[in-house]
Amino acid sequence: MLEIAQRQPIRWLRRSGLLVLLVVLALLPLLAARGDGDGMVNNSTLFSLTQMLMLVTLASNWNFVSGLTGYIDFGHVAFFGLGAYATGILMSKAGWPFLPTLAVGALSAGAAAVLIGRATMHLKGPYFSIAMLGTFAALREIARVARPLTGGGPGLTLPPYLNRPLFYYLALGQAVLVVALYRWVRRTEFGLMMLGIREDEPGAEMRGVNTIFVKTSAFGLAALSSGIVGGMWAYQNTFIDPDIVFLDSRTIDMAIASVLGGLGTIIGPVIGAGLLYWLRDVVWASFLQWHLIVQGLLLIGIMLVLPNGIIGLLGDRSGLDPRRIWARRRKR
Amino acid sequence: MNRRPPCAANASPLLEGRGIGKSFGGLAALAGVDVAVYPGDVVGLIGPNGSGKTTLFNCLTRLDGLDAGRIHFKGVDITDHQPFQVARMGMSRTFQNIRVYRKLTVIENMLLSRQWRGARWPGLLRPSRPEVTERADDLLEFVTLVEQRVDLAGSLSWGQQRLLEIGMALMSDPDLILLDEATSGVNPLLVDAIRDRIMTLNTTHGKTIVLIEHNIELVADLCSRVVVLDHGEKLADGEVGAVLDDPAVSEAYFGRRGLNG
Amino acid sequence: MTEFGQALVNAIMLGGFYALMVIGFSLIWGVMGVINLAHGEFVVVGAYLTWFMNRHVGWEPFVALVVVIPVMFALGYLVQRVLINRIIDRPPLVSLLVTYGLAILIANSLKLAFTGTPRSVTTALSGFWRVADVTIPVVKTIDLMLALAMMAALSLLLTRSRLGKAIRAAAQNRRAARMVGIEIGSVFAVTFGIGIALTGAAGTLFSLTQPIAPFVGLPLTLRAFAITTMSGLGNISGALFGSMALAAVEVFVGTYVPGVGTNLGLVATFVVLVVILITRPQGLFGGLPPAEE
Repeated sequence: MLEIAQRQPIRWLRRSGLLVLLVVLALLPLLAARGDGDGMVNNSTLFSLTQMLMLVTLASNWNFVSGLTGYIDFGHVAFFGLGAYATGILMSKAGWPFLPTLAVGALSAGAAAVLIGRATMHLKGPYFSIAMLGTFAALREIARVARPLTGGGPGLTLPPYLNRPLFYYLALGQAVLVVALYRWVRRTEFGLMMLGIREDEPGAEMRGVNTIFVKTSAFGLAALSSGIVGGMWAYQNTFIDPDIVFLDSRTIDMAIASVLGGLGTIIGPVIGAGLLYWLRDVVWASFLQWHLIVQGLLLIGIMLVLPNGIIGLLGDRSGLDPRRIWARRRKR
Repeated sequence: MNRRPPCAANASPLLEGRGIGKSFGGLAALAGVDVAVYPGDVVGLIGPNGSGKTTLFNCLTRLDGLDAGRIHFKGVDITDHQPFQVARMGMSRTFQNIRVYRKLTVIENMLLSRQWRGARWPGLLRPSRPEVTERADDLLEFVTLVEQRVDLAGSLSWGQQRLLEIGMALMSDPDLILLDEATSGVNPLLVDAIRDRIMTLNTTHGKTIVLIEHNIELVADLCSRVVVLDHGEKLADGEVGAVLDDPAVSEAYFGRRGLNG
Repeated sequence: MTEFGQALVNAIMLGGFYALMVIGFSLIWGVMGVINLAHGEFVVVGAYLTWFMNRHVGWEPFVALVVVIPVMFALGYLVQRVLINRIIDRPPLVSLLVTYGLAILIANSLKLAFTGTPRSVTTALSGFWRVADVTIPVVKTIDLMLALAMMAALSLLLTRSRLGKAIRAAAQNRRAARMVGIEIGSVFAVTFGIGIALTGAAGTLFSLTQPIAPFVGLPLTLRAFAITTMSGLGNISGALFGSMALAAVEVFVGTYVPGVGTNLGLVATFVVLVVILITRPQGLFGGLPPAEE
């Protein structure tokens, strides 16, 4: 009882802090509208925040699968790409309005993940990771080859629509919803099963957990959400081609954000994505062509120096130390 | 001893394996083993190290694929079942090198081992139901781990982890429990506790139990029947006293063959 | 029939390149347990080095091997000492992420240094022979011969020399090798150097048949992974066989499935790979390490 009483104020502080943050984020576009591009918050800040919020969602999706079940997915951008192409094709070729294309993108990404997962999620450790890398590379080639549908290498142009606040609110809404959803799922029996798979998959299987069902469901859910982000990104960008959509550094962004914040925790990817964007915008904005190089260095550096992430620095050990994955149970 | 009487021979077996064969890279771990376990039995599975006892468990729970033979559980052919399906049918087990979820708490370990039969999507998206939590708490009391309820399972002592595994094996209310060296590496005080729990499970709760055990005294104490494995073959199978007195068994078990050449 | 013969010749030529490309990857994975996701990038570095010697010094591409092999050896040695050595005893995820980081680093550095414009080398050996209507380019024939020669040399090195024995000992049991006095750090560094030198040489062969660009590395890494999982680790003849099989799949799909080109070869490869891994987790010819347990 005493412990709970002591922890109450901290929880209260955290909650009210979160609330203030959300209110500020919700009001930001109003500032932008008044400042007419010159104020403290201009359109490009809003654009950049939208990108950040999309990364929050993507990193949370990636972490939901890789951090909670321990299946490290090197090709998650494939599902982002499916969503982007669903929106791109339906809007530019079939003249659909935007929102319904998001639903189609989400469903096709989710369905693809369930189908692909049913095969690849039988693979363990690095074999799964690289099979997903292959899936991603394969989808990129398909997008290049299926020219009548996807526009091939030259890509597709979407009807332009420059309503920055709309994209911002969509991205914000999705990020909040997705993080809240994952936080909820983690506390349910389903979340417990995911953690069980991460800790000891054969053990979970022998205790009655249908591991392939749990893994593919989680995979499908995350992919569904990434598909929506892909659709929004495509419309905001007004142009897609195989290389900018199926961009492997985007998967790396998700992984870096998760590991930087704290792999396997719910808030970790949020902190990591925010920090990554801040670094990118403020610290190395002036070295734009260097940013992917810095990114490679960052990934190497985190793995060597900060494997438990920011959350780990703050003393939270509930996450997943990446050095621990695939390391357990050496002996038979 | 208030042990349950061995079941009448005309009852149909709860678990039956016929001609189970399994080899690893050309090395035969099991060469056509027959086993039958009747409802209410406590069967001891003994044999020297490397004789195939754990492999037999792995085959029975369907973790390892079979090279030969069929397995029936409750009259159903489970040879082509997945491990989780077998578990849901009411067979649970513990492991020689303990498999608790080390980074989860004791209570989470218990909740995660509940009977998952019939669990579906929307129902899974909520925290464990009160009746499941209650059952977990009752069983934690049974295995004397109430005080460790919210400790990480990895922080428990070896013996406590063994007890936790027994508790987890009971969560799904199984009919058949396979215990793989439930007392090895456990301090003597806890051995008595574990022995006591196993006996209660059989006598009061009517569970059928198969145990792999190196402690012969414990086997003689608990079991109604004993199966002896050696080099993947069944050496003996029968009443405890008769089997343990069999010279062939003691020869295999104590390795005299090696001394005499 | 001509079409078939041409496809067969193309497949064998491509297979030779793949084989040389893959053995460095296979050697490093087999000896050190490191899945090097920057592998394809090292091929590209070798190719750019060749292009540089060809364009700015005016050497024939094959002659550039004289520079490429020692430089790439030194680079590999250095990368192992500075980076890989620190993570070698950690679980595979760490080395996977670190080498992926290295891949991004190399690819983007190449883009900064050479821009994204595809580059090609020029060679005097652009002729070809015709045998019964089948074209056999001179360059690709030399490619194949060189690949086979280098693989034979590696095989001799591993089986006959003291260094080779040390490498194999270190691969089989790191701790035991350490105990009998093998200086494991330098053995690994030399192994990595040899692997990368061969990979760089494969880059020279690559430069002769395809345009060079900073981001063509990833598909090569994926192919190397696919071939190695099929053929087993550090298995040279297996790698040759797997490479030929993969090249055959790619070339024949490209030849006989209309409107596809060679792009979908990678797709076919991965479908095959996943099916193999699911049905035979130990690899097609065995010898693939289990992911856990």
